[in-house]
Amino acid sequence: MRTRLVMLWLSVGIPLAWGIYKTLQNAMKLFG
Amino acid sequence: MTTSFLDRENTVAPVEFNRFLVPPAALAVHLCIGQAYAFSTFNLPLTKLIGITHQDPADWVATDVGWTFSIAIAILGLSAAVFGRWVERVGPRKSMFTAALCFGGGFIVAAVGLHFHQLWLLYLGYGVLGGCGLGIGYISPVSTLIKWFPDRPGMATGMAIMGFGGGALIAAPLSLALMDHFKSATSNGVVETFVTMGVIYFMYMMIGVVSIRVPARDWKPDGWTPPANPGHMVTQANVVVNQAWRTPQFWLLWGVLCMNVSAGIGVLGQASPMIQEVFSGRVSAAGAAGFVGLLSLFNMGGRFFWASISDYLGRRNTYLVFFLLGIALYCTVPATGHLGSTALFVAAFAIIISMYGGGFATIPAYLRDMFGTLNVGAIHGRILTAWAVAGVLGPQLFTYLRKFQIDHGVPKAQAYSITMYIMCGLLLIGLLCNLAMRPVSTRFHVEDRA
Repeated sequence: MRTRLVMLWLSVGIPLAWGIYKTLQNAMKLFG
Repeated sequence: MTTSFLDRENTVAPVEFNRFLVPPAALAVHLCIGQAYAFSTFNLPLTKLIGITHQDPADWVATDVGWTFSIAIAILGLSAAVFGRWVERVGPRKSMFTAALCFGGGFIVAAVGLHFHQLWLLYLGYGVLGGCGLGIGYISPVSTLIKWFPDRPGMATGMAIMGFGGGALIAAPLSLALMDHFKSATSNGVVETFVTMGVIYFMYMMIGVVSIRVPARDWKPDGWTPPANPGHMVTQANVVVNQAWRTPQFWLLWGVLCMNVSAGIGVLGQASPMIQEVFSGRVSAAGAAGFVGLLSLFNMGGRFFWASISDYLGRRNTYLVFFLLGIALYCTVPATGHLGSTALFVAAFAIIISMYGGGFATIPAYLRDMFGTLNVGAIHGRILTAWAVAGVLGPQLFTYLRKFQIDHGVPKAQAYSITMYIMCGLLLIGLLCNLAMRPVSTRFHVEDRA
């Protein structure tokens, strides 16, 4: 159950973290 | 996959089931349907399907393409309202599967429309079919999450609805990367991108479909007992959906959501030109795009933050903060423009947009407090019609007011000042609706079947 929990959270967490990273990269241009 | 696998009876969780498996299942759906907020990345390429690198006279114009998103959002509100009871009856797995079929299938139908350059197929595919996927997918996991987290309903639904905000953060760079990958001398890559996204989103939503579970009938979190006195504004009774919309509380909450969304959505739609005009010559187009990205992050984060806080503050107090702080910030914005302070301007709007997202995420828990858990998903579906109305009211008001002032000789940099005060007016109406909230009369209650 614990492995399933980790896998499931990673499956949503990784794409979301990538999206946040790309957006922050873009947001930095406001202060650049 | 057999039909029985999708039935509610086959989704009842075993005793050892960990309830923290449910939020990522809901997120898998919301992260996909949140793509809708990033549809604008296709606006320009869709006007160059024939010309590829330039707009051919036979190509669609921007206003034609712009209708696609409007249709999708309108259908989102309508389908959530119409299919809400069905979603409650069949359970989250079948409804999430239907949402995956509609949303993924919508991309494929739209791709066929793009291939044959048939605008009506784009509207039918992404707008109507995809819009049904948006509406059904949006409400599918809400009542399930509330039942799994009776101790933290705000946090649980906030987590899922945060996914709708986060979906755009993923979809925007993904769409651009796919179009770049597929572009060639004979195609700008949009058709292939639509097909790929349709397949990816369908498969990703299936993670949610196979993972979702409903709690057993009398399940409660370990060590948790329902509070004997949950407070004046939290009911332990239930109101069915067909009674709920006859109560003043439903329409007051409709007003609360509509005003909160109207005030925020106008800003979101005009964020890029607004900051460039207020700080003319100081903020570039790239900087403005960064501002839009930053607002998206606060829109997403606010959904989780404010909905979680509402479990401690109470729903009415949370909206009280949204409206009072929102009014104060909107009143401050013109001053930040006059002062030339970009940082203060950005900070004010970041907080405003966090509360816009927070309004979406906190409403399911507010509905549960007022109407109980029995039909909360269906009631949530009906109240989302406020979103459809706000989606027209907010942007139209924002752009009309700006144009009116510029036409009457107000400099562009100052054209937003009066608009901000009008937004304060909208929030004031929302504040009054929220202050008028009282518990639902017992004559609307039904015997507890939750």
